[in-house]
Amino acid sequence: MPSGERSNKQPSEWHHILHDPWLLSLVSWLPPLCFLVIYLIFSQGLARDLDIGIVDLDQSKLSRKMAANYDASPTLLVKTSYPSPQEGTKALRGGEIYALIIMPVDLEKKTILGQTPKVEVFYNNQFLLIAKLVKSAILSAHSTTVAQVETLKNLSTHTPIIGQAMAAAIPIGSQVTPLFNLNTNYAQFLVSAIIPATWQIFIVMTTVLCLAAEMRRGGLSSWLGSHPVRAILDKLAPYTLLFWLQGISFLLGMFVFLGWPIHGKLSYLIFCQFPTICACQAAGTLIFFLSKNPARSLGLAAAYSAPGLAFMGVTFPATDMTLPARIWRSLLPVSHYIDIQIAQTNYGSPLPLSLPQLRNLAFFIVPGIIALMLARKTARSSQQQNR
Amino acid sequence: MKIQQLITNELRAVFTNHALLLTVFGGVLFYSFLYPLPYAKQLPREQSVVVVDLDGSQLSRRLIRMVDATPQVEIVRQSHSLSQAKELMVREKLAGILVIPEHFYRDLLQGKSPTLSYAGDASYFLVYGTVLEGMMMAGKTLAAEVSVTRLLMSGQAMELAEKQYHAVAIGMHALFNEAGGYVNYVIPAIFVLILHQTLLMGTGILGATQNEMVNNGEKMYWQNTSPFNLLTVRAILFFVIYALLSLYYFGVAFQFYDIARLADMNALAFLSTVFLLSTIFLGISLGTLFPRPELATATALISSLPIIFSSGIIWPESAIPSPIVMAASMIPAIPAMKAYILLNQMGAELQQIQALLTHLALLTLFYGVTAFTLLQVKTKRCRAKMRSL
Repeated sequence: MPSGERSNKQPSEWHHILHDPWLLSLVSWLPPLCFLVIYLIFSQGLARDLDIGIVDLDQSKLSRKMAANYDASPTLLVKTSYPSPQEGTKALRGGEIYALIIMPVDLEKKTILGQTPKVEVFYNNQFLLIAKLVKSAILSAHSTTVAQVETLKNLSTHTPIIGQAMAAAIPIGSQVTPLFNLNTNYAQFLVSAIIPATWQIFIVMTTVLCLAAEMRRGGLSSWLGSHPVRAILDKLAPYTLLFWLQGISFLLGMFVFLGWPIHGKLSYLIFCQFPTICACQAAGTLIFFLSKNPARSLGLAAAYSAPGLAFMGVTFPATDMTLPARIWRSLLPVSHYIDIQIAQTNYGSPLPLSLPQLRNLAFFIVPGIIALMLARKTARSSQQQNR
Repeated sequence: MKIQQLITNELRAVFTNHALLLTVFGGVLFYSFLYPLPYAKQLPREQSVVVVDLDGSQLSRRLIRMVDATPQVEIVRQSHSLSQAKELMVREKLAGILVIPEHFYRDLLQGKSPTLSYAGDASYFLVYGTVLEGMMMAGKTLAAEVSVTRLLMSGQAMELAEKQYHAVAIGMHALFNEAGGYVNYVIPAIFVLILHQTLLMGTGILGATQNEMVNNGEKMYWQNTSPFNLLTVRAILFFVIYALLSLYYFGVAFQFYDIARLADMNALAFLSTVFLLSTIFLGISLGTLFPRPELATATALISSLPIIFSSGIIWPESAIPSPIVMAASMIPAIPAMKAYILLNQMGAELQQIQALLTHLALLTLFYGVTAFTLLQVKTKRCRAKMRSL
C-alpha cells in the first residue's frame, strides 16, 4: 500500500483497479467463474452410461445374458446391436460408440462343450481416459458372466460344494485397493489440479497486465521514478492479497463446502499459497521487463503459463518426464504448489516432507531480483535521457 | 480505394505488427515443441512398488519375480507388514503395494482360492492403472498356470487343459491409439486448439491495435473501403497463413511425433476450410471489441482450459452439464477437435462427420455476418471521428 507522501501524488492501486473494467473483471468475478465452470464440467464425478455396441452372432440364451450383464454395468449402455462386425466397426470409427463387443457363432454350444469360445472386444483407445473406464467396466462385466458359468459348470461336473466350485473357477482371488483417493474419483482429483493451473494463468497474466497498464498510463520511467523497487512492490502488493483471497476461496470451496476428503492441514495449504503467488508474480514481472511491450509480454506470459497443467504431473507422472520437461516443470511455481497440495489432501504428509517444494518456491526470488534489477536499469536509463 | 492497395495495406498491417507475428508464428512453432514435451515417453513404465510377502514360500517368490518382470512394475522394496509398507510408500513416493497373504501356497494347493491384494496410489490415474495392470497381469498368469496344472492333474490332456481353463475367453483389442500413448492421445486435440487460440489472438491483436489507432485519431487505410472488402481481404490473408501453419501441424509435426494421419487430403482440406473460416470470423468479430491488443491474448489464454475440458475428448460429453455443452458449441474449436480426430486419427468417412461439418459451416455463416456487421459499425464510427476532428 502506498504510504502517506506517495498517495498524495498518485492515486492508489485500488483506484486503478476500480477504474479499469478489464482489470477489475480479472481480479473479481472472472477467476471464480472459471473455477466454477471447471468444477461443473466434472461435477457428475463418475461417467455413466457410455455408449457401446454389440454384434450378437450367436443369438442364444448365453449371448443375451452376456449382453444384459454388459448393460447392467453402471458405466456402460448397450446402445445399438449391429447385424455384422462391418457395421459395428464403422460406427466405432465414426465415434458413435466407445466399444464394440462381438459374440461369435456357437458361443453357447462351445461353452457347454468346454471348447472356450472367445468374445472379441474392440474399444476406442484414442480417448485414453474414457477408454480406461470402458475397458475395466467390460472386463468386470465379463468376469461376472464367466464366474457364473464356471461355477455352474463345476457344480454340475466335479465338485458339488459351491465354495469349492467357485474356488476352482477363480483359483486366485484378487482384492484391489485404491490408496489415497478412496472413491477413485478421478474427476475430482483432476479438478483439484486444473483450478490451481488456471489460478497460475490468472496471476501471471494479471501481473503483466497491471504493469502494462502503468506503461500506457504515463510511461514506465515516470512511474518507476527514483524508487523503482518500491514502486513495483507497492503496485503488486494489493494483487498478492486478491490472489490469496482467490486461492483461499477455491480451497474452502473444494475441501469445506464440497467436503472433498483432505487428510492433511488446510491451514498449511493456505500458508503455502502465499509463496506460490509471490513466485508467479516474480515470474510475471520478469516476463514484462524482458520485453517492456504490453502485447508482446502478454504473448510471452501465455507461452509460459498456458501449458502449466501438462507439466504439473497430474495427468502424466513427473517421474516419467524427460529431463527437458522436468526442467521446464520446475520453472512453473504451480507444479511445486500442486505437490504440496497433493501431499496434504491425499497423503496427509507431515509438514517437513514438503520442505523441498517450499525451498523450490523460495528460489523464485531469483527471477524476482532480476526483474527488479531490470526495472532499476529502465528507470536509470530514462533519467539519464531526461538530463 | 483500389483492392490492390487494400491488400498491400493489410499485408503491411499484419507483417509489421510484432506482437501478432510473435503470437502467430512464434506461438505455433514454440507450442509444437513445448506441448508434447512432458509426454515424450508416451507411457509410464517401471513404477516402483513395495511387496509384502507374508507367505515366504517358493510360489510367492515366483510371483514376485513375475511381477518384477513386467514392464509396468519394478519391485524396489520388501516389507514385513502392511502398515510398514504404507509408510514406505508415502515416504519414498512409491506407486503401489502387493500383498501375498499367509498360507498362499498351501491354500492354493488345497483349492481354497487365496486372495492377493493389490494396492495402488489412486491419486494419479495413469500410474494407478499401470501399476494394477502390471501386478494383475502377473497374478493372472500365475492363476492360469495353476488352473492348467489342476486340469492336468484331473486327467486332461495338456492341449485341452490349456484351452479349457476359462469358460469364455475375451480378447481386448485397442483401436486407433493401440499402444495407449499419451502423445497420441493429447496432441491431435491440442494442436487444433493451438491453431484456434493463436488465430483468435492474431486476428484479435490486429483488430485491437487498429482500435487503438482509431482512438488516437489516426487515419485508417480502410475507413473509406466497404467493410465487405476489408473482411474478405483480411479473412483470405489469415486463411492463407493458417493453411500453411496447418500443413506444418498436420503434416510435418504429426509425422515427427508419429501420429496417425488417416484422412485423405480432400476431406482434410474441406474440414480445414470451415474450421479456419469460422475461427477467423470469430476472431475478427472479437477484434472489433478489444480496446487494447493484450486483451485479445488474455481472452484466448483464459478460455483454453475450459475449452479443452468441455470438448468431450477428455471427459465424455454425456457427463457434462448441458448448459455448458450448449455454450461450448458456439466455439469453433469444440466441433473441430472432434472432427479432426475422427477423420485423421480414427479414419472416419467424410459423411460420418457431416453433422460436425454442418455445425462448423453454420458457425462460419453466423460469425461471418457478425464480423461484417461489427466492421460496418467500426468503419462508420471511424469516419465520424475523422469528420469531428
